[in-house]
Amino acid sequence: MTKQATTPAEAVIGQAIDRVDGRLKVTGRAKYASEFPVEGLVYAQGVNSTIAKGDITRIDTAAAEAQPGVIRVITHENALKLASPDADRLELSTTSIAPVLQSPEINWYGEWVAVVVAETIEQAQYAARLVEVEYNRAEPKVDFAQDAGYAPDVQPKYERGDVDAGMAEADERVEVTYRTPVEHHHPMELHAVIAEWEDENLELHLCSQMVNDNAKGIADTFMIPKENVRIIAPFIGGGFGSKLQAQEHVMLAAMAAKMIGRPVQFTVTRQQMFTNTSLRQENLQRMRIGATRDGRLTALVHDTTSHTATNKEYQEPCGAASKMLYKVANNRVNYNLVPINLPYPWAMRAPGEATGSYALECAMDEMAWKLGMDPVEFRILNDTQVDPSNDKPFSSRLLTECLRIGAKKFGWADRPLEPRSRREGNWLVGYGVSAASRQAPLQLSAARVTVYRDGDTVTATVQTDATDIGTGTYTILAQTAADFLGIPVAAVTVQLGDSRFPISPGSGGSWGAASFTNGVRAACMKLMEEIKVAAGTDATEGQGIADLMDDADLSEYAAVGSAAPTEEFKNHSVYSFGANFCEVWVDVDTNMARLKRILTVGAAGTILNPKTAYSQVLGGLVMGHGMAFMEQSKVEKQYGNFITRSLADYHVPVNLDLADVQVVFLPEDDKIANPMGVKGIGELGICGVAGSLANAVFNATGKRMRDLPITPEKLITTKIEPGVTVSR
Amino acid sequence: MRPFNFIPSATVADAVSASTANPEPRYLGGGTNLIDLMKEDVERPDTVIEVASLDRKEIQRTPSGGLLLGGMLNNTDTANHPDVRKDYPLLTMTMLSAATEQIRNMATNGGNLLQRTRCPYFYETSMPCNKREPGTGCGALNGMNALHAIFGWSEACVAVHPSDMCVALAAIGATVEVAKPDGTSRRIPFTDLHRLPGDEPQRDTILEPGELIVGIELDAPKYADHYYYLKIRERSSYAFALLSVAAGLQVENGRIASAGLAMGGVAHKPWKLTAAEDYLRGKAPETGNFEAAAAIAMQDARPLAENEYKIEMGQRAIVRALEQAYARKA
Ligand SMILES: Cc1cc2nc3c(=O)[nH]c(=O)nc-3n(C[C@H](O)[C@H](O)[C@H](O)COP(=O)(O)OP(=O)(O)OC[C@H]3O[C@@H](n4cnc5c(N)ncnc54)[C@H](O)[C@@H]3O)c2cc1C
Ligand code: SF4
Repeated sequence: MTKQATTPAEAVIGQAIDRVDGRLKVTGRAKYASEFPVEGLVYAQGVNSTIAKGDITRIDTAAAEAQPGVIRVITHENALKLASPDADRLELSTTSIAPVLQSPEINWYGEWVAVVVAETIEQAQYAARLVEVEYNRAEPKVDFAQDAGYAPDVQPKYERGDVDAGMAEADERVEVTYRTPVEHHHPMELHAVIAEWEDENLELHLCSQMVNDNAKGIADTFMIPKENVRIIAPFIGGGFGSKLQAQEHVMLAAMAAKMIGRPVQFTVTRQQMFTNTSLRQENLQRMRIGATRDGRLTALVHDTTSHTATNKEYQEPCGAASKMLYKVANNRVNYNLVPINLPYPWAMRAPGEATGSYALECAMDEMAWKLGMDPVEFRILNDTQVDPSNDKPFSSRLLTECLRIGAKKFGWADRPLEPRSRREGNWLVGYGVSAASRQAPLQLSAARVTVYRDGDTVTATVQTDATDIGTGTYTILAQTAADFLGIPVAAVTVQLGDSRFPISPGSGGSWGAASFTNGVRAACMKLMEEIKVAAGTDATEGQGIADLMDDADLSEYAAVGSAAPTEEFKNHSVYSFGANFCEVWVDVDTNMARLKRILTVGAAGTILNPKTAYSQVLGGLVMGHGMAFMEQSKVEKQYGNFITRSLADYHVPVNLDLADVQVVFLPEDDKIANPMGVKGIGELGICGVAGSLANAVFNATGKRMRDLPITPEKLITTKIEPGVTVSR
Repeated sequence: MRPFNFIPSATVADAVSASTANPEPRYLGGGTNLIDLMKEDVERPDTVIEVASLDRKEIQRTPSGGLLLGGMLNNTDTANHPDVRKDYPLLTMTMLSAATEQIRNMATNGGNLLQRTRCPYFYETSMPCNKREPGTGCGALNGMNALHAIFGWSEACVAVHPSDMCVALAAIGATVEVAKPDGTSRRIPFTDLHRLPGDEPQRDTILEPGELIVGIELDAPKYADHYYYLKIRERSSYAFALLSVAAGLQVENGRIASAGLAMGGVAHKPWKLTAAEDYLRGKAPETGNFEAAAAIAMQDARPLAENEYKIEMGQRAIVRALEQAYARKA
């Protein structure tokens, strides 16, 4: 057998290798939370409230309990006592507690009111129908547009310069409000958990984006030490943010398991995922932009009003990009939150940035049109290399390059400036553009690397509690370890998602790839250093790991390493940037809109694996398309429930909707961001997309669509913008 | 789901007689609608009688020159059958616009005709709905009714029939063959099968308990040359119509000899535009005449609070479907 080379002939980082877990997934051998064969497992089915506000006056479980197979029905009357929040309204975070069934009070339609545990899932489901609940119903409040609300602490008001003076100074002003509806995450895998207690120790198979934070949230809810909670989450079928925190059903499963002394499986149904696993809140975004005749921004005001639950608080930061994307001296970003009787909002893919960029990028387009400027040039004119919100230089910012290269590749020059001026048969044709930005954070992340030598062959195991939510974590970590140990990818086994492994920040906020790979890199480098010392060599190159281990007489060796943001990182603003270009056709009669093609150019540091990176951005574009044209959860105002209750009513795009998608990554070497130069792309892909599509709809039809989604019924009833020439 | 009796049936006679022996039976075709409704607790049958495997999967020429479609044949095989494609391309186009390939593979022709409304109040058992629970009131009447009827509704119910296939059948003309529990059968003109809600919205059709759809006989073909199904929806596939129009034209010597025209997504039943069809007969196939026909079709529309948009959309859709039908020469 030939010796493994010191470094592989070619670095595997940057190569479009297949997912290392792909085969497991397509053959059904990748185990998801609900699939673990646990002995003595029983099944729980949640029961939901059918009012949006009030109190339970009577709850009758007798009929359910009399059913064959039913073990226990848990309600607020017999539930375990759990930790209670310090304030009236619990501020949601990735570690927050999730007490449930603690009182007869109902805060939203569909809130958990009981859980039925039975020997089989069918028995539990049927018995759940038989739980009878009587209420003292109060009038729910689900409207929030007219409400004063309050300024949430979580998103303090931000202001620089003098926005009134900036608006006064402007030659042109855009003052408009954009609305985005409630959306739901709907990852493919239903939220699911298996909970089992052994004395005071709780073990959970859980679909979790962040095992360490979730362990804390669960431990705090049950008032036990965090060390007592073990989470196992090797595979997660998507989360889009909804699996960032351990939500109430996780506590229900653990509570039931504790009360009956058996392991309990709890799966939230697709219908329940509209009411019990969080949502993206509806936002009313008031934009005020001022600019001089020659296209310089003089003021930018972004005021957001959103709703939160009456007992939990979250605000997505819609104004995040408005603070830093463009050079403007006078800027204000403000939030207003109104508690209403809807399920609690929470982070959904690019929270704030996905929805906020729709408002910002549409407002920029409105201004460009008023000024008679090309919207690409207008953005470039207001580009900046210094983050105006904190005066720090950007570690690297290729926004202008993204816009220029994108415009060229897309054929932007063919775009008619005048809206509603291009026809193809019955179709009105329009082009749209938007800029995109997404913070590229780095968080402390650790990993353990163990190497095993068998003769001349070295294999390695990488362990970290990081998760792979379908994004490709297994693959990029195998690539990283392979390069830094100098062994082939196939020799690396990556193990993820176990809270007993070294702590990572988990998957969220676009920090995963950067944090995890830098952590694994640090562990590999530490391991190599220590083996060199043991081998008694200080040679920096030449010898491969097999030789070194041989010299040091080692057959197995392990090291734990971690990476954290550097001072240099902290002295910079670190972001990924991008630009979206799209062509939309709108049928002149039916008002059905079709995305003909979309091109995204991204500058997001080192692309670890073009295949998984493309897939991330593609997913973002699909979701952005859904946001623009179809996704919405509609609230029945009298009853306070969502009338979109299944994926037949809650529309997400189909393949035919996105025929021609092109993703281009610009080469970017940003070592300030982190040693690997990796920046997040999981959320960049959705940013600005809805804005570019709405802008293309304007270019096609002359209609400003300020209320998402842009459906045929809205298009047909929206008036053409004053000033647009109408030929038909 | 609630427990229920499941009865497989070998013959049509078995199936209909099983229906008389049980208090609350339902026939199970492909189950793509019935099973969903059972999971939602909207349908609570005591007995489910399987009929999808019955031997009524034929496609046959009839003596009058039409085509008989077996009631238990699935939607995919029906739409793609060479005789259907050749003589009734409007039906093919329409059926292939519905749902997804997977659902069409399961869905039977009989089940398609009898699928129930997608009104969200009907689906949510905690909300009032006269169709699901007579006497509880119509939640949609003063509620969220953007997707509801503009024709033929009553205060008791403003729901629309969701089927695409039925819209084409209304345009083409057909007769439904029904097996009765007493062993005899009857034939119902297709446009008489579905009812308007009146004060009995719980009854979608004129079928009596236990009656089984075994076949659909299409009228002799007229629209093989000029046809179009226009379906307006929020995404390119896998969505019910906001509104749809099936249009067939028979053109002889530059004049319309016959027009088949029906709308979906506008009424409790597939909405045949008889007055517009009559108007078009003898006219030249021109946009001006199409516009006049559409105006006739839409004149009785009565929108609800949230679906006024369907008036303009309907008008434009009829004109467009006729234009496309005329322009499209098979
Ligand atoms: C997500 C989704 C999207 C869809 N989109 C569309 C769409 O875009 N357009 C569209 O037209 N449809 C759509 N459908 C509906 C689909 O076409 C129907 O569900 C299907 O045609 C029903 O046929 P089935 O055989 O499965 O009926 P089943 O579900 O078996 O039965 C439906 C009803 O008919 C009764 N029944 C069945 N067969 C007979 C018979 N022979 N005689 C008497 N009674 C009978 C049953 O008792 C039941 O009440 C969609 C469905 C789903 C789930
Ligand atoms: S429209 Fe018909 S189906 Fe809908 S709520 Fe009213 S009665 Fe029920």
